[in-house]
Amino acid sequence: MASGTTRTKRTAHTTAPPAAEAPTTSTSGPATLTSAPSRRAARRSRTALDTDTGLVHRRWWTPYLFLLPGLVMVVLFSLWPFVNTVILSLTDAQILRGGRFVGLENYGRALDDPDFWTATVNSVVYLAVVVPCLVLLPLALAVLVQRKVPGIGFFRSAFYTPVIASAVVVGLIWQWVLRSDGLVNTVFEKLHLISGPIPFLTDSTMLLVSAMIVTIWKGLGYYMVFYLAALGNVPTSLYEAAALDGAGAVRRFLSITIPSVKPMMLLVGTLSAISALRVFTEIYILGGESGGPGGGARTLPFLIRQVGLGFAGETGYAAAVSILLFLLTLAFSLLGHRLSKGDER
Amino acid sequence: MTRRHLDPVRNVSRADGASGAQGASSACSASNHRPGRSRPVMATALAAALLSATAACGVGGAEGSSAAEGQPKRTGKVSGEITFRTLQLKPNFTAYVQGVIDAFEKKYPGTKVTWEDVPGDGYNEKLVADAQAGGLPDVVNLNTDSFQLLGDRGMLADVARLDPKIAQEYVPGAWEQYKLPGKGDGVYAYPWYVTPEILTYNRELFAKAGLDVNKPPTTVEQFFDQAERIAKAADGRYSAFMADPKGRLPGDWQKMGVPILNKEKDAFAFDTSKAVEWVQRMKKLYAMGAMPKESLTKADDLAQLYGAGKLVFGPGSPGVLKDVKRNSPSAYANTQVAPAVTGTLKHIGIYTQSLGVRKDTAHPDAAAEFAKWVTNGPNQVAFSKQVTIYPSNAKGLADPYFADRGDGKDPETMARAIGAEELKAAQLDANTPVEWTTQVGDAVVREMQKGIKGEEEPAAAVKNAQEAANKILEQQQKHQKQKR
Repeated sequence: MASGTTRTKRTAHTTAPPAAEAPTTSTSGPATLTSAPSRRAARRSRTALDTDTGLVHRRWWTPYLFLLPGLVMVVLFSLWPFVNTVILSLTDAQILRGGRFVGLENYGRALDDPDFWTATVNSVVYLAVVVPCLVLLPLALAVLVQRKVPGIGFFRSAFYTPVIASAVVVGLIWQWVLRSDGLVNTVFEKLHLISGPIPFLTDSTMLLVSAMIVTIWKGLGYYMVFYLAALGNVPTSLYEAAALDGAGAVRRFLSITIPSVKPMMLLVGTLSAISALRVFTEIYILGGESGGPGGGARTLPFLIRQVGLGFAGETGYAAAVSILLFLLTLAFSLLGHRLSKGDER
Repeated sequence: MTRRHLDPVRNVSRADGASGAQGASSACSASNHRPGRSRPVMATALAAALLSATAACGVGGAEGSSAAEGQPKRTGKVSGEITFRTLQLKPNFTAYVQGVIDAFEKKYPGTKVTWEDVPGDGYNEKLVADAQAGGLPDVVNLNTDSFQLLGDRGMLADVARLDPKIAQEYVPGAWEQYKLPGKGDGVYAYPWYVTPEILTYNRELFAKAGLDVNKPPTTVEQFFDQAERIAKAADGRYSAFMADPKGRLPGDWQKMGVPILNKEKDAFAFDTSKAVEWVQRMKKLYAMGAMPKESLTKADDLAQLYGAGKLVFGPGSPGVLKDVKRNSPSAYANTQVAPAVTGTLKHIGIYTQSLGVRKDTAHPDAAAEFAKWVTNGPNQVAFSKQVTIYPSNAKGLADPYFADRGDGKDPETMARAIGAEELKAAQLDANTPVEWTTQVGDAVVREMQKGIKGEEEPAAAVKNAQEAANKILEQQQKHQKQKR
């Protein structure tokens, strides 16, 4: 049992950073820097340090010095580009042509643009289908491969392989599977299940579904690892106790596993929602540069690229659509946050 | 021993570990709270990262002056250090390019050329970033897009002014390509290598449809007629050609005599009966299975399909023949090469790579002489012998190497001879007009896809395409007027 606990702890340290501080602060409640007991503890240790080593003349900016390398990176590569995008979205800038301030014109234009609405609807539908699948399927998979049976390592690795493969390679493979003369259609035709090929890639709706399948298939292994880490944190004693009380496998899954990994489910939901809103590669590889016939399978990132592309690319308008995508992402993230808040109470 | 043990579990499920101190569930509770707090931070960071990916360029940016202003003056002394940037020539052509550079430095002592090569991916983006930061190289390899981008913003030197006599060195079409529309007689780059459009087809499958192998189509209408016969003979086993509306337009229309723009060049005018006819015929052929279904949106597997004998009309670029030769020798042996379909135009268009000279270069003499040196006859011919490209230099094109047809059977040799012949007569009116930007092309292609698939009537598709294209053009011209 003892060795079992240390192993779980190690998994927690390596794969789930949020749980890493658990051992030190679990007795004083949630591990936050602002909680009073820990702050007091910190002050106490600091005083001890001061008297011992004579580090009395600390400057107020000392901590910031340590933060500096990280801060510089964040400001330079995350914050500034973000601010820049906000500014750009208020101008009519083009590539290599500094813009003029036009206020909210770009936003108005986006809301009037039927292409924008097609892309928004596609993105939201994509999210609505992909997120539930990516929250539930990897959990089922993780529960399956969690058991220690001989050769399970092979399956764990096999499920993770698509994650390592580049999205382009994955897209190309699926393209050959789904084409009108591809694997699926040929097999179906040989079996006389269909009279003509199923238009997986040449019909906008089918294309969107095909891209979702690729996204889900590729995401399974990734989120499975998240769940494996979370499952490792569930004390085995709970299962043992439940089993003693006569709870079956289904009952144990619903009453112990699900509640225990619920925070992870919310995290996976949020992460997969963000990546679902960013989907581009799958649709580009499967549906070509126009984003499906007539551009019917375009998502918001696809639209942003299309608008900003080439020597006539409208950077200002593209930035405005980016901001709208950001707001959408933010809305879904806040929704996820709200859900988790409701849980904590 | 019965209910009590399940209690902590219930607690977890009900309050999700709010009772943090309870022994067994404490680990869970800790992991419950932390993600709750870090999640919005993570989400924001991720979203910000997404945004930063799209925030490619700054607001200010280098504002170009008009093209004619601030042109460099030659001093007559060829010396100094210049920088030279090429597009994806390393490592395959390192020896060739370095040889050209060495010979130049030997010819003009006191010059030094620093060469840097940039991979094809993101070439234009890097160029834009450098131009914005004022760090353009002295001599820079440009393609059609980047030429337009830098030329239009007045960042390139007028090479006709640097070298009044140089024009006759190049094929007329190539030279004309580097004038900026509506900006006078200035020429803003030296033409470099080029690949002409040709027609290739599978001899065996062509004959199987009852067509004469020695009578390839010369007009778009003939091409469609023949494709129809091929589709009938194929019965779904192979296709005639790739739909690829993006690659086919506006070229096909130009070859059918459809005007793309009006006379004033301020509006698109392709909504004609001929253009509608094009959609109708494409629609019919698509339904017949004359083209692979997926080629309506994606045409990047052309060489693969052709090599596998699943396509009758093969690559339209001589360079791709080499891939076919390497990957499927049988398809290569079966290939017939003919001049490209040109229809009413009777000549092909021309898209050369070029060398631009930075307008504010510190050494205009060295930069101009070097660009001339790289693009002169002998150096371009030497380059053509290394890879399937053609010189834009008239003297280079007159080299016997390009007249040799061998026994008239080898596709590559034939492509070289036919392509070189076509280039001599190439003219710009067969090129895609600059007004046909990425966005215009995209808008038109999307309507065409709907029309060809039958989701929209052909006439409506053309009408909608023109409306969409004009809307984009209007937006573009609004931008430009504000700048003037």
